[in-house]
Amino acid sequence: MTDLLYFEDFPLGRSFACGPYHVTRDEIVEFAREFDPQPHHIDEEAGRQSMLGGLAASGWHVCAMTMRMFADHMIPLAAARGGAGSREARWMRPVRPGDVLRVEAVVAETRESKGRPDIGHVTFECRVFNQREQVASIFMTPIILRRGAA
Amino acid sequence: MSPLYWEDVEIGVRRDLGSYTFTAEEIVRFARKYDPQSFHVDPEAAEHSIFGGLIASGWHTAAVWMKMAIAERQRSAGGTPLLRAGVSPGFEDMKWLKPVRPGMTLHFSSEIVDKRELASRPDMGLVLSRNKAHDEGGDLVFRFTGKGFVQRRPKV
Repeated sequence: MTDLLYFEDFPLGRSFACGPYHVTRDEIVEFAREFDPQPHHIDEEAGRQSMLGGLAASGWHVCAMTMRMFADHMIPLAAARGGAGSREARWMRPVRPGDVLRVEAVVAETRESKGRPDIGHVTFECRVFNQREQVASIFMTPIILRRGAA
Repeated sequence: MSPLYWEDVEIGVRRDLGSYTFTAEEIVRFARKYDPQSFHVDPEAAEHSIFGGLIASGWHTAAVWMKMAIAERQRSAGGTPLLRAGVSPGFEDMKWLKPVRPGMTLHFSSEIVDKRELASRPDMGLVLSRNKAHDEGGDLVFRFTGKGFVQRRPKV
């Protein structure tokens, strides 16, 4: 068991790699049928005729897949106390069947808690890349971390 | 009449998206797939967490908001798209204000708060919406600002 990373271990610019996530057609359609049943997330032809230019995952599905990569590769390392939201999400390029996603999470902002000396806030800029090294999405994600014993 | 183009979108219009009750089974099923932190997937571990019990992933709440928005759109349009819309460039300022627990019923809503022309896309406009979920006691549980592209009325 390695030592957990505390608030102090997240200086501006430190970067963490998460992933990969293999995106399948079945999963895109299954998620969309349950939560976002718009034709361009379910039907190839409807996707082609839409702004997306082909079947593409719901943006909410991209959020969920990104969370999974973060939960598998980032959260276990950190003395995390959870998150309370997401400051911004930019869905920039369609995520398609067969895509292989990965996340690069860079520390973009850190702030000590004023009221609570035992925690701090770290905001990650999470860039979601596809296998062509294109940025598919960017998420600004604040997380609460325990401070280390100084 | 239902709005069809960006020009028809009225700022201030609020849509009631209906209510949804979260079950433990669904909370766990979503989280096993997308957010397997112990307080989302393991009721016993969740008891001992800072949340004191199982809670839904915030992304699950967000996905259910979308589900309710699409269902409402389909209901009010009789199956045809209400707006010449669908694709979104993202969202801002999402907050999970209160934990969502099994058995909780949330009430979802969406209000149009702004609309903007797009310099880069003269055929499209942007619409901003303030989207919320309240619990049965009326407390705000979840909110975010959504962005959607809507087609502009073709110039004849």
